[in-house]
Amino acid sequence: CSEYQKALKSEDMGKKYAMADSLYDSGKYRKSLKLWEQIVPSYRGKPQAERIMFLYADAHFQVEDYYLAGYQFDRFVSAYPDSEKTEEAQYKAALSYAELSPNYQLDQSETQKGLDQLQQFIAAYPESEYTEDASERIKELSIKMQKKSYEIAKGWHKIMEYPTAISALDDFISDYPGSPFREAAFFYKLDSQYQYGSKSINVLVRPRLEEALEMYETLTRYFPEGEYRAQADEIKLDIEKILENYS
Amino acid sequence: QNDLPVSNGKQYEIGVISVVGAKQYNEQTVIAFTRLKSGDMVYLPGDRISNVIKKLWDLDLFSDINLYATINGDKVDLKFEIEEVPELNKVTITGIKEKKTKDIIKDNDLNKGTKVTENLITKTKYYIENKYKKEGYLNSKVTILTRPTTDTTDTQRVDMLVNVELSDRVKIQDIEFIGNEQISDAKLRKQMKNTKRKNLIRFWKRSKYISENYDEDKVAIVDKYKENGFRDARIVTDTLIHSGEDLITLKLSLEEGDKYYIGDIDFLGNTVYSDRELARQLGLEKGDVYNGVLLKERISKDGDPNADDLSNLYKNSGYLFSSINPVEVNVENDTIDFEIRITEGKLAYFDRITISGNDKTKDRVIYRNLRTRPGQRYSQAAVLQTTRELGQTGFFDPEQLNPQFLNANPYDGTIDINYALVEQGASQIELQGGYGGGGFVGTLGLSFNNFSIQNLFNKDAYQPLPMGDGQKFSLRAQASTYYQTYSASLTEPWLGGKKPVQLQLSFSHSIQYRYNFNGGNTARPDKDSRFLITGGSIGLAKRLEVPDNYFTISHAISFQHFDLRNYNVGLFTFGNGSSENLAYTVGISRNEGDVNPIFPRTGSKFSLTAKLTPPYSLWNGTDYKELADTRASLDPVADQTEISEIDQERFNWLEYYKVKFEGQWFTSLVGKLVLSSKVEFGFLGAYNNDRGIPPFDRFFLGGDGLGGYALDGREVIRLRGYPNQSVLPQDRVDNSSLDASDGATVFNKFEFELRYPITLKPSASIYALVFGEAGSSFDNFKDYNPFLMNRSAGAGVRIYMPAFGLLGIDFGYGFDPIPGTVGGPNGWETHFIIGQQF
Repeated sequence: CSEYQKALKSEDMGKKYAMADSLYDSGKYRKSLKLWEQIVPSYRGKPQAERIMFLYADAHFQVEDYYLAGYQFDRFVSAYPDSEKTEEAQYKAALSYAELSPNYQLDQSETQKGLDQLQQFIAAYPESEYTEDASERIKELSIKMQKKSYEIAKGWHKIMEYPTAISALDDFISDYPGSPFREAAFFYKLDSQYQYGSKSINVLVRPRLEEALEMYETLTRYFPEGEYRAQADEIKLDIEKILENYS
Repeated sequence: QNDLPVSNGKQYEIGVISVVGAKQYNEQTVIAFTRLKSGDMVYLPGDRISNVIKKLWDLDLFSDINLYATINGDKVDLKFEIEEVPELNKVTITGIKEKKTKDIIKDNDLNKGTKVTENLITKTKYYIENKYKKEGYLNSKVTILTRPTTDTTDTQRVDMLVNVELSDRVKIQDIEFIGNEQISDAKLRKQMKNTKRKNLIRFWKRSKYISENYDEDKVAIVDKYKENGFRDARIVTDTLIHSGEDLITLKLSLEEGDKYYIGDIDFLGNTVYSDRELARQLGLEKGDVYNGVLLKERISKDGDPNADDLSNLYKNSGYLFSSINPVEVNVENDTIDFEIRITEGKLAYFDRITISGNDKTKDRVIYRNLRTRPGQRYSQAAVLQTTRELGQTGFFDPEQLNPQFLNANPYDGTIDINYALVEQGASQIELQGGYGGGGFVGTLGLSFNNFSIQNLFNKDAYQPLPMGDGQKFSLRAQASTYYQTYSASLTEPWLGGKKPVQLQLSFSHSIQYRYNFNGGNTARPDKDSRFLITGGSIGLAKRLEVPDNYFTISHAISFQHFDLRNYNVGLFTFGNGSSENLAYTVGISRNEGDVNPIFPRTGSKFSLTAKLTPPYSLWNGTDYKELADTRASLDPVADQTEISEIDQERFNWLEYYKVKFEGQWFTSLVGKLVLSSKVEFGFLGAYNNDRGIPPFDRFFLGGDGLGGYALDGREVIRLRGYPNQSVLPQDRVDNSSLDASDGATVFNKFEFELRYPITLKPSASIYALVFGEAGSSFDNFKDYNPFLMNRSAGAGVRIYMPAFGLLGIDFGYGFDPIPGTVGGPNGWETHFIIGQQF
């Protein structure tokens, strides 16, 4: 029987506590977690609980069980709002939700929760040592949300539902003014209008392609040196060629 | 924390904070919770202090909280006197059967350790009283007492004593009506669906008195009058009289009023539809009896999004924000003139369309199927169709699909929709092992309905399997000492991601050895005699836009290679040789399904397919007539070698064509009862009659319809009430050249099935069914006789569980003899159904 097994089976809370503490300190979080689980209920409401609950939550965090880590840190924050560890706990709670954020093509409830919590953290502790990291994470998560929205809108272009693509890209452009996908959104809007216009019935070709030319102007005004410039120029040339036949 | 003085509160500095009465929670914990510190400045009376008390109450942990403030100049000492809510130790329920107490404990969470608050006691009391009221115990009394226990810990615990005093169950002796001249007592009583008189014959529904039901039934009586033109009918009084022990009589006094008729109907405010169009849709005319209920339903029927009413006429053409109000403008004698006032509002367009709850399925797999798209004109029908199609994917629980309308904006004319989805298991596993046929037989089958083949080599995607790209992937292996079969198939519904073009790939390989009886009783596989089949197919299917978007056209090319070595099967007359089956299949189908693919309530399915092989005999120069003549002149026993050689030449490349039709309709009858009607036809023919129809791809009628293990591409057609594959062509009795191992070339089948759902939960869907069906098969189109049928009827049950697929059992009675046998009806047969069948 190892010391650890003895501590696990022991009735002596003090012994468990000491063992859990030393395991935690030496980085053996998974083992310590088992002990914390046993200790936490019996210290509830006692002065030691503050430290124990934090370590318990952090052990979850260290073993990358972010689902429980987020929950336990949240509990710590609401139980000990004035603790000196509250700042760290609140940051790690937010971080846990951010870690749970799945692939951008799936439901983003966790991402949104992570974003909200990180923003709350920055608002509550603008001077914190974690603020810089938190802003970095916020940026990362919001780019993920933007990518999701952009990819969905672009998806309509891919399945050749051009008018739908234009509406969806318009929504995207107005929702995320500073997005890195902005240029691409403008470009795919132009391409959608171009495809839509050139495949329209005769009388509609001209007005629709003229609208596409306006979109070209918008794109090149915002992004004169953009990565889509060459492709856009090609489209413009093509439109002008088609319009000659309709004059 | 903000603190504001209340009225003329003064600010004090907090001195000592103390807590009295804390047992389970120590003093420090409570003080920490209040977030008050010695030295803080607070107003008395003030906002902060009242918030502290409110927060303590909100915890639901204390049954009493008092705050005493002792003012000492500028300082104040605070003393919280709290009484902790006791925890429940044990609950005893008396007065009812023990079995019933469990539900009460469960539904009210009366577990050890639950905080016994006033709220809990009241809630429990109300719950029990209500429960028994619903069962007809009108005057039951519930008393709840709590008694502190002596517990070893500090925690204060109480025992709860619940006494239920059940009153006698009240039955309705009679329902009397006063003042009804136009509608008889009996008709009015019939309207009362859940409030019935005592009646010995009507034993299935009890004559309980439940006040909620009674209230509903009173509305139904008034509605009955309204339906008959009595617009002003009302119930003046209703009395409940105890007319004996456990018996009550309900007395309703009615005022019928006059009977009214519809006069002129004018439409106001309509620009989209003309008066005539609206009048036709409304379906009510001048001179009709004024039926208030029907009028309301024709304008807008609550609870039925598919209703053929005026408001849906507008909503399906984009006028989401329209409103329609009928107004009585003139009442002359018994005639009422109407104005139907229509506010059409702005045309509505979908703006943002979102999806939530897709924890596995990727956005694009869902979005590409949506029929409601940003910028499109609003259509209620499109929302319903989208919901239905999302359900049909099988990735989401169809019963929990929920389109949520958000941000309806009548000024801009926009609306957002969020489709809230709940993912459900879309994978099935089949694992079997057993001892049969003299050896071990094992089967492993895996089928994934929402697979992601592009993530097959991405280890991060294994959670536990790569999912979410909407592909179907299945693998199956079956092996015993005598045979092995392996198969794999993959379906990608959107090849290339641009258009809904479905790609289907499949591959299968099987090998069978001959039994060798040399070793006495136990047979061993003889590795020198084997039969090998390797095949594959590739198919494309495309959704059509014309004539409507339920149509699909499909193409497939399939190839099978048969290789025999020293192996004589009934199929071929040669034991050594090979045969190739290359065919092209083209099909057109229309599938207008229901939201729930397991238990469809509406919709229909049709498919027409043709399977064609190249007509080799046109160009390969072989004189099949001569071959046929030679074969006919040979002696089947003595000249076996020659016959084998001829047959090897006839079947080196199989040549045939096959046409099939299948149609199925689902109709919702009464309530949840659904009727499924189905017809099937099939015909297999040869281009060159001298070459003949090969023994492959034939139809076998009878039994459970499960494919099972077949080498010859046979099609097994279900016909319950008869043994598997037993219903041979009738005329074969006189034609001895063919036997039971030869399938038919023509068949037809008709089936009616009544289905009733028992439960449609995501964990398991169960339904019961009764069926009547009839079918027959023929060797030749000339023999076809639609009246020569093998008929059967029976009943069964189906259970669908997402992890196992469909399981079922049917008992069928065959009314006709099995063809080729003499004697009466075939009688009862039991069929086990495994796997999806519709």
